[in-house]
Amino acid sequence: MTTPSGIWLVARQEFRMRLRTGRWKWLLGGWLVLLAVFTGLLDLSVSTGYGYVDDDQSRRGVPIFGILMFFVLGMVMVISPALTSQAINGDRERGTLATLQVTRLRPGEIALGKLLAGWGVGLVMLALSLPFAGLATAKGGITVARLAAVYGVVALLIGVVCAVSQALSALLARSITSALLSYLTVAFLCVGTLISFALIAPLVADERTVQTPEGYAYTDTRSREDRVWWLLAPNPFVILADSAPRVPPRLVDYGDAYYYDDYDPLSSIGREVRELRRPPSDGDYDPNQADVPPVWPWGLGFNVLLGIGSVVLTTRRLRTPSRTLARGVRIA
Amino acid sequence: MHPEHSEEAGVAVDDVWRHFGPVPALAGISLTAPYGKVTALVGPNGAGKTTLLLILASLLLPDRGTVRVGGADPATDPYGVRAAMGWMPDTFGVYDQLTVKEYLTFFADSYRLPRSTVPARVDELLTLIHLADYAYQPVHVLSRGQKQRLALARALIHRPRVLLLDEPASGLDPRSRVELRDVLRGLAADGAAVLVSSHILTELEEIADRVVLVARGRTAGEHTMSELAGAAKVGYRVRAIDGEALTAFLAERGVEPVAVGHAGSELPAMAEAEAADLLAGMVGAGVRVVAFEPLGSNLESIYLALTEERR
Repeated sequence: MTTPSGIWLVARQEFRMRLRTGRWKWLLGGWLVLLAVFTGLLDLSVSTGYGYVDDDQSRRGVPIFGILMFFVLGMVMVISPALTSQAINGDRERGTLATLQVTRLRPGEIALGKLLAGWGVGLVMLALSLPFAGLATAKGGITVARLAAVYGVVALLIGVVCAVSQALSALLARSITSALLSYLTVAFLCVGTLISFALIAPLVADERTVQTPEGYAYTDTRSREDRVWWLLAPNPFVILADSAPRVPPRLVDYGDAYYYDDYDPLSSIGREVRELRRPPSDGDYDPNQADVPPVWPWGLGFNVLLGIGSVVLTTRRLRTPSRTLARGVRIA
Repeated sequence: MHPEHSEEAGVAVDDVWRHFGPVPALAGISLTAPYGKVTALVGPNGAGKTTLLLILASLLLPDRGTVRVGGADPATDPYGVRAAMGWMPDTFGVYDQLTVKEYLTFFADSYRLPRSTVPARVDELLTLIHLADYAYQPVHVLSRGQKQRLALARALIHRPRVLLLDEPASGLDPRSRVELRDVLRGLAADGAAVLVSSHILTELEEIADRVVLVARGRTAGEHTMSELAGAAKVGYRVRAIDGEALTAFLAERGVEPVAVGHAGSELPAMAEAEAADLLAGMVGAGVRVVAFEPLGSNLESIYLALTEERR
């Protein structure tokens, strides 16, 4: 039976050892300085009116918050694989895993406990960004619900990356290999999804022959992103952008025309990704057409399943007595 | 070997096979380790000792054969085995960042000892392995021998009835070996079944009650220590004040010395009873003997015979 007390025992032990090994004060201090510099520069640059201009000073926080959260997500995506990508095979290399496996701790307790410890470190880093997000909130336009939703999604994504990295460390004998593969996995989620979308979207476009009244015929291609939008769904940045509760758009006077805009990088990316799901229509643009359903539930669902699958896989690899020995273990 | 005894033995192994790829590490090994005794597992490198101990420690599945540890089958009831069994591997790591006390407390918790009993049990073990002075020191300051003792304490934390030790004496100084011997003898006296693998033969001679000889993944013999001492033939070195009387006596008895040197005459291998008779005859015949000693240990001669057979 996998029990909470067993998970907690392993997690506490791992967390304690992490605290005593690394130079955490320096790392976390550096992280705070980086966030402070980034947020400060961001605030200044947004105020110049170079990019996101919003005359409405009561919503100054919206662009700052959006860009800051993209930055925080990018940074934790870089850091998270390092938290668990040596959790299992590192212990094997140090010769401390087998002594744990012969205790009465269950494989699930070891797997979840180690995951919680790595995830916990990631959450501490995320929590350190809260004061800066709070600063953005103070500038106006961000509701507490929006803040909570965005932080919840980033927290989950950190857990997913930690779980996948840990599964790789359970599958592969060498910690160098598992660390490398963990980073490749994150790179695939963040960049690989974009590349595959860009490469595959042209292949699924419709080609049709149009007959002109004058008797000429020509081929016309019409893009069909609605067939491959799901390639973008697992992307953490897409999930973050699309899942953030929308900021109500305002009617803005652009001089020669009026547009609705929300000055929010999260909402605008979310809107664009959703538009990909809309099947092409032959008619003119209809401002009253129905909304397209969101993309993020698919992406987040995919990632959460990936995380759960990783934990299951890790647990299975920790189960003993095993039929095979981990490579590198001396026989006889 | 004796399936009918498997209920009463701490460890009972019958016809166990295990391959790694095409290489057979265990080829039908059978042995028992009774409660209250220290059983030595002796064999050359590659004989399958560690593989067998991994199977007994519920970490590795055998290809076939029956295994009982503390009355449970590690393949079907690993947690039953783990509650009754303590294991000390030949190579292991410790959590360097913890203190000695924290290390043992963590394993006490991992074995789900009742919370209130843990501090007392940890202190008891620290005294047993002479590390009480190091309780609040980080594990990484310990010497190799001290780490070995800490690992022994870890294996003992839940008062196992079966103790499996893989090469526990390797890398220990003579003082630590004597202490290890005392600890193991004490555990056996309290009723535990202790199985020790080693190739440090002279050490096992003092520690073990029984010896299981393994070669090429198979049992080559299962003996009590006293049986072996009687049966094994070793050479003897004898020295007398009057060398000529000794030579004459030996010639009369038809014993041809293997070598004659400054330290005395080396006699060919003979059993203990034979040697005792010869010595009694010598003294009776008035040869003034000052030294009569076995050359090498019984286990060593058996071990050497075993490895020679392998070639």
